[in-house]
Amino acid sequence: MSASSSQALEYLELLPGSVHKKLYDQPSTALAIFRCMLPHLAKTIVMAMLYMTGPFPANDLDAWFRSDAKREKDKAISVLERLHIIMLRQETSNQISYQLTKRFAQSLRQALTGGGTHRSFGVPSNQPDAKRVDKAFLDEYARKQWENILFYMVGSTVGLADSNALGRDVGEGTKALLKAGDFVRIAHGRVHITRTGFEFVLQEVNAQVWSLLIVYLKHASQLNMSETDVLSFLFMLGSLELGQDYTTTTLSPTQLQMLEDLSAFGIVYRSSKEASTFYPTRLATTLTSDSVSLSTSEPITNSLSSAGHRAGKGYIIIETNYRLYAYTSSLLQIAVLSLFTKLTTRFPNLVSGKLTKESITRAVRLGISSSQILSYLSAHAHPQMQKNSPVLPPTVMDQIRLWEYEGERVETHNGFLMKDFGSESEFRELLEYAESLGVLVWKNEEKRVFFVDRVEQISLYLNNKKRTQDR
Amino acid sequence: MADSDYEYEQDASDDEYIGERRSSATRAHASGKRRAREKPRKPQAWETSTPMTTSIDTYKEAADGNLQQSVQEREEERKRKRLRKDTKPFQRGIIRHVTLVLDLSEAMLERDMRPNRYITMINYTQEYVREFFEQNPISQMSVLGMHDGLCIRISELSGNPSDHIAAIQCLRAPKNPKDGPKEPKGSPSLQNALELARATLYHTPSHGTREVIIIFGALLSLDPGDIHQTIKACVRDRIRVSIIGMSARLRICQEIVGRTNGGDQTDYVVATDQELLRELLLATTTPPVIRSTQPAFAAPAESAAALMMMGFPSRVVEDVPTMCACHGMLTRGGYTCSRCSAKVCSLPVTCPSCHLTLLLSTHLARSYHHLFPLRNWTEVSWKRAKEKGSRQCVGCLSAFPEPPPEDHENGQNGDAHQETVDGADGKRLVDEEDEEQKASESSRYECRACESHFCIDCDTFCHMVLHNCPGCLSQLPASEVQGDGDVTMAD
Amino acid sequence: MNAIDGTDRHIKTDEAPPPSLLAIVLDTNPHAWAHLSSTLPLSSAIANLLVFINAHLASGNANEVAVIASHTHRAAWLYPIPQSTTLPTSQNGTSNGDMETNGAPTEPSVPENPNKYRPFAIIEKAILSNFAKLLDTTKESDLASTPTTLVGGALSLALSYIAKSTLLHSPVDPLATDNPLSALADSETMHAQRTPLTSRVLVISVSGDLANQYIPVMNAIFAAQRRRIPIDILKLAGDTVLLQQACDATGGIYMKPERPEGLLQYLMMGFLPDATARRSLVMPSAGGVDFRAACFCHRKVVDIGYVCSVCLSIFCTPNLPDNLCLTCGSYLSLAQAQTATPAVIPRQRKKKKKRVGGTDSATPGGSTPAGSGTPVHT
Repeated sequence: MSASSSQALEYLELLPGSVHKKLYDQPSTALAIFRCMLPHLAKTIVMAMLYMTGPFPANDLDAWFRSDAKREKDKAISVLERLHIIMLRQETSNQISYQLTKRFAQSLRQALTGGGTHRSFGVPSNQPDAKRVDKAFLDEYARKQWENILFYMVGSTVGLADSNALGRDVGEGTKALLKAGDFVRIAHGRVHITRTGFEFVLQEVNAQVWSLLIVYLKHASQLNMSETDVLSFLFMLGSLELGQDYTTTTLSPTQLQMLEDLSAFGIVYRSSKEASTFYPTRLATTLTSDSVSLSTSEPITNSLSSAGHRAGKGYIIIETNYRLYAYTSSLLQIAVLSLFTKLTTRFPNLVSGKLTKESITRAVRLGISSSQILSYLSAHAHPQMQKNSPVLPPTVMDQIRLWEYEGERVETHNGFLMKDFGSESEFRELLEYAESLGVLVWKNEEKRVFFVDRVEQISLYLNNKKRTQDR
Repeated sequence: MADSDYEYEQDASDDEYIGERRSSATRAHASGKRRAREKPRKPQAWETSTPMTTSIDTYKEAADGNLQQSVQEREEERKRKRLRKDTKPFQRGIIRHVTLVLDLSEAMLERDMRPNRYITMINYTQEYVREFFEQNPISQMSVLGMHDGLCIRISELSGNPSDHIAAIQCLRAPKNPKDGPKEPKGSPSLQNALELARATLYHTPSHGTREVIIIFGALLSLDPGDIHQTIKACVRDRIRVSIIGMSARLRICQEIVGRTNGGDQTDYVVATDQELLRELLLATTTPPVIRSTQPAFAAPAESAAALMMMGFPSRVVEDVPTMCACHGMLTRGGYTCSRCSAKVCSLPVTCPSCHLTLLLSTHLARSYHHLFPLRNWTEVSWKRAKEKGSRQCVGCLSAFPEPPPEDHENGQNGDAHQETVDGADGKRLVDEEDEEQKASESSRYECRACESHFCIDCDTFCHMVLHNCPGCLSQLPASEVQGDGDVTMAD
Repeated sequence: MNAIDGTDRHIKTDEAPPPSLLAIVLDTNPHAWAHLSSTLPLSSAIANLLVFINAHLASGNANEVAVIASHTHRAAWLYPIPQSTTLPTSQNGTSNGDMETNGAPTEPSVPENPNKYRPFAIIEKAILSNFAKLLDTTKESDLASTPTTLVGGALSLALSYIAKSTLLHSPVDPLATDNPLSALADSETMHAQRTPLTSRVLVISVSGDLANQYIPVMNAIFAAQRRRIPIDILKLAGDTVLLQQACDATGGIYMKPERPEGLLQYLMMGFLPDATARRSLVMPSAGGVDFRAACFCHRKVVDIGYVCSVCLSIFCTPNLPDNLCLTCGSYLSLAQAQTATPAVIPRQRKKKKKRVGGTDSATPGGSTPAGSGTPVHT
């Protein structure tokens, strides 16, 4: 499970059981959900139960886990239950057992054995295509489309929007989607990036794709598309092979409509709108895998985020004196860096700059958190930097955090100040009560005052006490 | 400079070439023990360039436009250097009695290693102890320290690694809060150290080795008497001393090592940097070769070989806790001595009540690879690579670089190249075991027995960790031949 | 106001388990499978194994698998596929042990099946075709020559493959490291750092006696132990102490199912959890493992044995012919075997020596450490 798939998991968990059941009809979906949505232990549980003849008694399951791993087990079970993958069955009065949902089990078994005639792993086109494209082309295409979207979001904020053509040819549908997802806001005809937009930009590519797709999913119903169809198509895309063309003849109308939108994102490629085939790009084939630890292909960040053909995926070097060197000529990367760096010099393949207090606090004001900056920097650290442990110089990491904290010296709580107590014992009693409720924010024992952020229970308590005293 | 390097690249018979090779050889490996005999003079540490400068020179000088290639070869060469062990099945002293002498004199406060020599040594020694018992499970060790003119005992002679490690850790963080950490102080005394070591090893049985390994940081020895008498006594008691010096060679160390090792001075090595210290230290975990010139060996009455009685206890699990004989603590399980039924907690151990050596059969098996070592693999020339048509490593299936086409760009030296390779081949037949291990031009390494080709990573893995040849063992006839061959070779 | 925790420097919240490499050694000894054919024919065992492999691959996106057949006359790769050693064509891809890259040569031959996840299909095809090839090349003479299987070779292959994969997965590029000595040579420091690849070996064994490979298998076990690679054993038939010891030494799982026909469930429940999952599961253990030694002369299991100090051969009796070791031929004196260590160090001698040297405080006795220790502190 990676950060990218966890958002998808959150989304999936919110879906009603009937949608789940429909989804699990497709072996590809069942497999994809198993592969990338489930926590590791949940996978272990599912696999142990998959070929079990009967239900799995809860006691046996407990016995299988170490006593100190109970929390992890409960977490795994609850995820499985929420996704309607396992069901709880009351066998006898005091014996419960777990069972896999029939459809899910069946589909997953089919996926593992490769049986059935569901054709859910994509039907390759069998006609020789004269205009066949190769993987490099697909990567380039996906990169261009995706960078366009990102640049559209970032461009105006950093004042680079007018200087080049990047970010111009973003489709209207995409723009609407970005607005609907609250990634950008348009005011006075200019695009302004929002806080969520920043989070989006600083994520890894894979997570970005999922974020955008989830917005897409949420709005699918408005476009008269069924969520199930959309989801299972996405999961199917994730199990396709890069560089292979697939036929569109077996797709449903909803899915055909989706193809158009997805090709605008750069997730699939079609030579023309009427073409009877489509190619998944790397953005699609890595949907259901981790982009970082992908073993089947080069990491996605390699092909997508770096414009040049560098061997390593990282390009940023940070020195302990806060100087930053980024080996890149990609405008997008420069734009992202300039969100929190004071860039000074630009060379054909290198930009250099400095992390300063102003640049960081400006970024923080824009809504970027220090941990986002740090994770961006370490995720894109130059291979030479990655030899270090920790990857970034500790001084720089600490300082970036401190700069952020500096802006948060005053923390505000809305609440109530309790004062003017009659006696020490009265004060103590109420203080202890507030502390036990967990509402106490601050206290000063000398002045006999304290501050709480909720008052309902305290006033109830006081009233009760008053009443008993009155009586 | 550039000229000589040119030679270096292609002509194996050049004088300078050999000098260079040998010098780096001594630098890298302390266990080339038998080699020094044949070589009348071996360059001293100051004559060899330091590892840093060598590598820089070579990178710079590979001027034939093939920089990448030479960098890679150099890398592989460095990896292989660690391999260069004696792979002839020599008789080795499997049962070792070792006293490890640490220098705790003020010279160890030098900061040429990080954070200083003393802390570096303490850290490496702990690792060393672990590795030592991994490699020599039925051996015994004692740790001494040269501190302020005296020699102190840090741990008693025993076969339990955790005792030694705990004792070494106590030097810096004593258990008893009243004692401050033992900081390096004063001058070391080699004589006192040797005397105490001799006393420690005095009663050890003659079938085991008696070794003293000294880590010596100082450039002096402050001795109370005539150290030459002590050396004589050590020779008489069959004690062999190895010294790992720091910063410079000392005449007296050379003499100690030479006299106690039958004239062989290869066990005196100098660590010029931290990495080398560790490497040299770990090199001594390999059991030493038994020399026939040793006086003890000449007299069969005191023969080194013996039949040792050992117990192979089985594990017991008890319902009720009982007292163990080793710590006097209540435990629920352990091993019972095969002779006296005393219960011990862990193996290998000498039974506390009847002095029988107790161990598991796996402990013995751990030493087998010293007795039946995996022979070194040879470099493969492009010609040979083509002949075999090997395209990937047998062990890990990673692809080899393709052999260059016949009319390669640097064709004018191609012929000369071939010839030297042939020459090397011919030489290999004569003294194949003595050949220096260096990087192979085709990145392939060939097992002599099964003629499989391996990559450098598998080469190092198989020789240093696995001690098996995956190629030989994957073919039935070869494995039989090898198995028999090894046994008969072990004389 | 919260205190600023500037020391909190870990940035990687590694919730995803590290990729796991599973090396499967499948014992394909025809003699043993013939015995099992009534309950579990080899073909269905392989079908079950394929499902298990798919399940393993599905359990983690970056999971990898390697399959080696340990046959009677040779140990052969089933997956990844070794390239044929004949015609060296230009194949300059950096084949780095990834399943995709190594599977590349067969790719065109894998039929596109819309009902199958493609990575699964590739591996299945490779294993089946290689296995068929292996059986085709097995001659009767090969079978007749030996009743056992080359587990030692297969384990060696598996371990060297794992070693290489681990190297390739380590965060630092092994070829560009500025400290080549620590790259592979020292396993300990490697493990002290984060290991990005967890590996394990699963041996599906059906053969009995493996005594002829005692040393190679033992070496493999120790190598696995040093690299912390658990060796799991699924013993469908036969019984060997050697493999039990392998599990015990490396912390693997030993299972000997009562009913071999339920192979898949055993695999799924017992052997699928990787190192990450095993931390929170109760895994079956080998129980009592017999560590007693068998003597080299009569293959008798002994409690007390006599060990040659030169070659470490174990004998059940001290009375060897001519007192010569049966293995290495050294002359062995028995007197040594009985002697216990002298309890008292001849103190007299030492004193004498020391007096030659100098002060009493230099005496290497028990009192020395205390004597030198106190003045330092007080």
